[in-house]
Amino acid sequence: MNCEEIKNLMDAYLDGELDPITSQKVEQHLRDCPKCEQAYEVETAMAHAISRAAPYYKAPPELRDRIQVSLREAIGVTISRGAAAEDPLPVRRPEAVRRGIFFEMPWNWLALAAAIAVAAIVASSFLPRLRQPGPEQFLATQLIASHVRSLMADHLTDVASSDQHTVKPWLDIKLDFAAPVVDLTGDGFPLIGGRLDYLDNHSAAALVYQRRKHFINLFIWPTTPVDGKEQKIVEREGYHLVHWIDGDFTYWAVSDVSVGDLQNFQRSFGKQLAAH
Amino acid sequence: MATTLEAEYVFGAEDLGSRAKVVKFAVFQRHEGQGAAQEHELVSFEAMMLPHLDAAHNLARWLMRNEQDAQDVVQEAYLRAFKSFSGFHGSNGRAWLLTIVRNTSYTLLKKNRAADLTITFDEEIHASGRESVSPAAILEHAEDAELMKNAMNELPAEFREILTLRHQEELSYQEIGEMLKIPVGTVMSRLARARAKLREYLASQMSQEK
Repeated sequence: MNCEEIKNLMDAYLDGELDPITSQKVEQHLRDCPKCEQAYEVETAMAHAISRAAPYYKAPPELRDRIQVSLREAIGVTISRGAAAEDPLPVRRPEAVRRGIFFEMPWNWLALAAAIAVAAIVASSFLPRLRQPGPEQFLATQLIASHVRSLMADHLTDVASSDQHTVKPWLDIKLDFAAPVVDLTGDGFPLIGGRLDYLDNHSAAALVYQRRKHFINLFIWPTTPVDGKEQKIVEREGYHLVHWIDGDFTYWAVSDVSVGDLQNFQRSFGKQLAAH
Repeated sequence: MATTLEAEYVFGAEDLGSRAKVVKFAVFQRHEGQGAAQEHELVSFEAMMLPHLDAAHNLARWLMRNEQDAQDVVQEAYLRAFKSFSGFHGSNGRAWLLTIVRNTSYTLLKKNRAADLTITFDEEIHASGRESVSPAAILEHAEDAELMKNAMNELPAEFREILTLRHQEELSYQEIGEMLKIPVGTVMSRLARARAKLREYLASQMSQEK
């Protein structure tokens, strides 16, 4: 390959988008050609600078309200005045639409209690059967739901700290196991905090890490006999899940970052853990 | 319990800019349970698409380059997305939504400022001092968010969008290609040109500062 060809492939190379053979050829050329090597370094630094310095415009909270109102208008739900509630409409579950009412009307508490009881009975009798065809899928759904909820409901962390020595003791007190906590700032995954969660019929520790503008939820619980032994990568609804087992613990990392980033995250976590 | 109850939003629409909106629930009776299926669909639509609101807003903000237009675009895009939601069977909701945001942005851009869409730009302004700034100096200034923002905003729309999709949403070439309906090879070359142009603009901004 000559320098001109390398120049054309350089962006794809640094984005990790070349096939392995071409990628290797570029690598070889960069090793031999100081001029291209230097150009590549500038290119790489530039790419990182864009990722880091370009502002990410998060949606203002009122935009969400505005959209939800306009969507309801679109399906012809009439709007009339009534009791006030400050919460924006929770969106995860169908029954959430009616939640506002329950908060306002005490006479409905009884109905709510009855509904929960019925739901619990139905759930407990159906869940085991539902789980049989695809326990993994069911778990993946729960994991993604928990990840999404943590980002939506302003409940990312129970304990917000980038210090593992703050997060770990906090979790240890609340949980009946000692979840491993490591800081991965050095590897580009700063620790944001920790959270308690309840998944798959047991409590779990959720560690929250950041990857550039994105968040990674790492769920940890002591391995049970039903947990899959082998490493797994799942992709669903634009989210990626990476599963592994290390020592006594089962890990699930969930995020919308790329699979490659999640695998790097897994490697960093394992490395840091071993170092402790 | 024969009557179905529903909760709905009411919000004070006056003075949108300066004051937080008052969001209220209203309680009323529904006529005959019509539209229940639609509402159910709306709930699952929101559960799937609202988590990508930040991504939608960010892309619209970069394309429109002002907040008001960006919000209008995102609202319109969610309405459009909901209308075609029943036809969506893919697994990547984010890319699907972003495609709609992009198309909606372009509709408005075309209406407002046709000139913005073309890659032509004033060479004379940006040609000045391009060569006199070293790569190292550019990189140093590239960490400056304000400078980066200004330089990116000077790029044509198709460069702004590809940089956002790659660097902020971290989509793969293939995903970007599907979104923009261009081959992967074109994604590669367009991204390369966008980065090169951005570097030039950073350089010209720096020489203006001097």
